[in-house]
Amino acid sequence: MKKSALFAAAAVAALALAGTAQAQDKIKIGFLPGTVDPFYQNMQRGVEQAAKDLGVDVVTQIPQSWGVEQETPLLNALVARGDLNYIISAPVDTTQMVAPFQAANDAGIKIITVDTFLGDGDYANGPVKFPLSFLGSNNEEGGRVIADGLAKAIGDKGTVYLISTNPNVSSVGAREKGFAEEMKANHPNITVIGPDYDLDDQAKATQMTAAVIEQHPDLAGVFGTNVFSAQGAAAAVTNAGLAGKVAIATWDASAANMENLDKGIVSQVLAQKPFDMGYLAVEFAVADAAGVTSIPKHVETGFAVLDKSNENDPNFSRFIYK
Amino acid sequence: MSDPVLSIRRLTKRFGGLTAVKSVSWEVYPGEVVALLGDNGAGKSTLIKCVAGVHQPDEGEIFFAGKQVHFARPIDSRSAGIETIYQDLALANNLDVAANIFLGREKKHRYLGGLVKTLDERAMRAESQTALDTLEIHFPTLTQPIESLSGGMRQAVAIARAVYWKARLMIMDEPTNNLGVPEQQKVLDLIRRLRDQGVPVILITHTLPDVFAVADRLMVMHRGRKVTEKRTADTSTEELVGYMVGARDDTRPAAAAVP
Amino acid sequence: MQIAAADGAARLPPGKRLLLALSDLWAWLFLAVMVLFFVVAVPIVGSATFVTVRNSQNILVAIVPIVLLGLGQTFVIISAGIDLSVGWVMSLASVLSALAIRGAFNAGWPVWLAVVAGFFAGTLGGAVVGFINGVIIAKLKVPAFIVTLGSSFIVRGVALLWSENTTVIGLPDIRAYGNESVFYSVRGGDHAGFYFLHPPPLATNELRQLDRILQWPVVVTIVVVAIIMFVLHRTQFGRHTYAIGGNLEAARRAGIPVDRRIIAIYALSAATAGIAGFLSTLQYGAGSAVIGDPLLLSSIAAVIIGGVSLFGGAGTIIGTVIGSLIIAVLTTGLVMMSVPAFWQFIVVGVVVIVAVLIDQSRDLIVGRNESGAET
Repeated sequence: MKKSALFAAAAVAALALAGTAQAQDKIKIGFLPGTVDPFYQNMQRGVEQAAKDLGVDVVTQIPQSWGVEQETPLLNALVARGDLNYIISAPVDTTQMVAPFQAANDAGIKIITVDTFLGDGDYANGPVKFPLSFLGSNNEEGGRVIADGLAKAIGDKGTVYLISTNPNVSSVGAREKGFAEEMKANHPNITVIGPDYDLDDQAKATQMTAAVIEQHPDLAGVFGTNVFSAQGAAAAVTNAGLAGKVAIATWDASAANMENLDKGIVSQVLAQKPFDMGYLAVEFAVADAAGVTSIPKHVETGFAVLDKSNENDPNFSRFIYK
Repeated sequence: MSDPVLSIRRLTKRFGGLTAVKSVSWEVYPGEVVALLGDNGAGKSTLIKCVAGVHQPDEGEIFFAGKQVHFARPIDSRSAGIETIYQDLALANNLDVAANIFLGREKKHRYLGGLVKTLDERAMRAESQTALDTLEIHFPTLTQPIESLSGGMRQAVAIARAVYWKARLMIMDEPTNNLGVPEQQKVLDLIRRLRDQGVPVILITHTLPDVFAVADRLMVMHRGRKVTEKRTADTSTEELVGYMVGARDDTRPAAAAVP
Repeated sequence: MQIAAADGAARLPPGKRLLLALSDLWAWLFLAVMVLFFVVAVPIVGSATFVTVRNSQNILVAIVPIVLLGLGQTFVIISAGIDLSVGWVMSLASVLSALAIRGAFNAGWPVWLAVVAGFFAGTLGGAVVGFINGVIIAKLKVPAFIVTLGSSFIVRGVALLWSENTTVIGLPDIRAYGNESVFYSVRGGDHAGFYFLHPPPLATNELRQLDRILQWPVVVTIVVVAIIMFVLHRTQFGRHTYAIGGNLEAARRAGIPVDRRIIAIYALSAATAGIAGFLSTLQYGAGSAVIGDPLLLSSIAAVIIGGVSLFGGAGTIIGTVIGSLIIAVLTTGLVMMSVPAFWQFIVVGVVVIVAVLIDQSRDLIVGRNESGAET
């Protein structure tokens, strides 16, 4: 919570100084997300809204797929324009992307990273210090939030199954870790089975969940770390006549997951706040241009858990990626 | 003598600057085994590939069964009745005897007015058996992949196939290569049986004992040219070697004088 | 002189003959041994039983995409080719059928008709890709490995483009078609019994007692397997597929229209992948541009475990089905035994390699001879 307070202070300062900034040369910001997907599309809306509200220009480039080879040329192209003051970007690799962003920084463009980070994400004391700030949500924390939400939905007892895509992927790996640790630490009456890995294959997720139901007829909940894992698990649960009785939680408030929530395929969706990430990043750039020196190096934008009870509440529905 | 089955007139085939076959004329008559001899690179394979439709001659004409023919593809030559058995046998080793004999010309059952067609395995097996019987070839079973058969037995399958499809001319490229002695005898025996059934055979070889064992006549090529044509009975191994290495040449009387 | 050949296998000593018979049947034996193992081991580790109606049906549902991708792949590999595009073709078909179902439904078609439209969109869309693959392989003589690798990238791009963001949603609720079944069995309670096509009206707390037997995707797969078995083992097209894989040159010389056959083989492969994509859309109620990608390797593994030689010319459809079953039984059994995920990978990998070793040892046992000089 203290971080939120900090960011609020910065935001206020930014807004107060926005007028001054406008009086000078108009600020130009480059926006370079990781790839084309609903999450970053939502972030782009945040960036564009902030640009409109604060009167700055934004130039957007989007890599067609996730990868160092896709992102670097676009970054270099943005730098080569020569008219940008800031670049807001989601680096696709913590190590390999350091040099290209360092080069951009050396060209006089300040860097703000969103969703993902460079080095270890600690721009105050870590190995990479040049970016202005990192705004994102923490996968491990998200895993804990889901664990708490799922525990609440199943009455804080019983067996839950953790099914994920591939081992050794940092994002879903951290989700698994946070989920399992939180269950162990704060929900002693819940047993976690897994993780099993479906290799991003829904049919395999269905098969694995079906096998777990055979073994544990008392299964109360499933956390599928991505849309396929959750959809696959849901098919097995429906087949076993347990629809509505086994809570299924999944990650990201994408349109597909929200449709699954509406159809009752999943029961909880964890939303990150990409819109906020984008909006805040622009505010930070404007504040920095206005001379604010107390911009936080790291802001966690947090999560919202969506379910049938709150998905139409505007306070929550604004987190749906669209 | 009756009309020739195959008649080649002044056939020339060039590959770039190299003349592989130079103005060769040759005739093959019904019911005879003729050998085509020559060292490696003498042009015998090229000549035969022109007849088989693999190559097209640059000059000259080919008459088959009295009519001039132009074979654009191997299948054209085949459908005219010329069966060529190459060294690699052109058999599918993973299929059984009957499937090989009927390969590409399978017998079918028709259902629903020809909409659905299935293989008529029983008829193909029965007819294969008949074809093998006429050549006195005996397999215990026709249902195993021929890869488990010996080289000689696979030659027999290829020959049976040609006989079944009523080949009017059979061309065999080094049929006894890579075979053990007993197997060689079996294959030569089959060649005689083919001739006895009236199918002329062209035997491409450089194994002279085979020539004397089965061939009625022979033709020798050297560097793309026909250097002699003789009845087997009228020649000897020594003389043939002379023709094959280029020491003798009937087309150049002067050269013949010099040993 | 009489010409006679000894039967290749009959020439072998009895010990080797037994080994050969075992190597022919090894996939069946392996499956049987594996099931027996799980029947014993699963109750020891936990409280569940391995052989139950529901578990058997779960495994059948699980092999649907692997079998369908494997069927076409079996044809392709028997013809001594390879089709690396099937995974992405399945994804494209999933997207196409989802778009067709959504479009047809929005245009006022009844749901069942929209589903039929989805079937044709997925299957024909897939077949078109395979047709193009086949034309390039047969007519332009580009190796199949390269062509299908290249086309898989193109297909991936098109699938992502048409799906806009990987998942096609907004379909009518079609999961009933994907999840309902031919037979229903209720194990206990007031409605205990066996039902055909329509399940009895069960209260929510009775649903656990309900087993769905032969779910529709399984039925579709069984029909496709039957048709493909017929085509491979009973028709001229099937015979020619073996001949092309056994000796391409011989097939050509025998007058088989090799190019046309190759084009048909790749079109068939992509069409079965297309059916897999359609069924995936049906089961999950949405189309996805990335759904089939991870299945490529599983399907090739199933084909190889089933005894199809990667060198071409040998293999059966039933072998591929057994290979798929082995992979699925392995996964279900290991998950039920709570075996850690990494061990599951290792076991599947070992089984694939053992399968290839056994295929090769067959050659050693028979002593495949080229010369025949020892006769």
